[in-house]
Amino acid sequence: MATVSLSIPPRSQYVGVVRLAISSLARAAGLDEEAVDDLKIAVSEACTNAVESNEEAGSDDPISIEWTDEENLVRVEIGDRRQSVEPSEAGVDTQGFSTRLTMSLALLESLVDHFELSPREGGGMFTRLVLERSPSNAT
Amino acid sequence: MELGLDVRTVGSHSVVDVKGEIDVYTAPKLREKLIELVSQGSYDVVVNLEGVDFLDSTGLGVLVGALKRVKAHDGSLSLVCTQDKILKIFKITGLTKVFPIHGSVEEAAGGAA
Repeated sequence: MATVSLSIPPRSQYVGVVRLAISSLARAAGLDEEAVDDLKIAVSEACTNAVESNEEAGSDDPISIEWTDEENLVRVEIGDRRQSVEPSEAGVDTQGFSTRLTMSLALLESLVDHFELSPREGGGMFTRLVLERSPSNAT
Repeated sequence: MELGLDVRTVGSHSVVDVKGEIDVYTAPKLREKLIELVSQGSYDVVVNLEGVDFLDSTGLGVLVGALKRVKAHDGSLSLVCTQDKILKIFKITGLTKVFPIHGSVEEAAGGAA
């Protein structure tokens, strides 16, 4: 098992840095390109939501990203300072189009094997993403 | 991280060739460009995503916003995309039903005129 921890200021220009780090880690962990792309998008979504949540909560606290590589899975946990589990702007707009957050949640639910939001000690939330290694991805 | 945005005219359409990664940091640049085009009277717009390496919900949000703007002028917004990893994002979010997605700029600019 290997764990890598990152911390970024809650600002949009750092989300790309996290994507780069996660793609390198995922490739090094032996995931195939499709799994790398899926994880990259899911982590980007989670970090984008975290950046926006911190902005809404008026928090300048860093966003934490923890990567864990285990025998059967990889896990990425993103910690922010959002105040509520239920995203306030999820749903559709007045013209029936999905909001960005609704699309983001659809991507998170679809691209990883397990997606979960849970409260963080001291306030905020953790977004937990798990990608199981398929037989072809196993090391 | 840079987002390349080149605008050209093909027939009656304004084509925006996008290059790079569209995320929470770069999406505002795309939004500004699309708003600028509509405010200049371009209501039939093609967004060419063939040079795009990465797209997430912020990029999708910008495209939906632009669609609403052109629709308000009875215009159209179509996309050019053949990359599986990008098409997948449109499928998951149900946007393949919202945007006409074409295999080439010529097809997009010719078909939706």
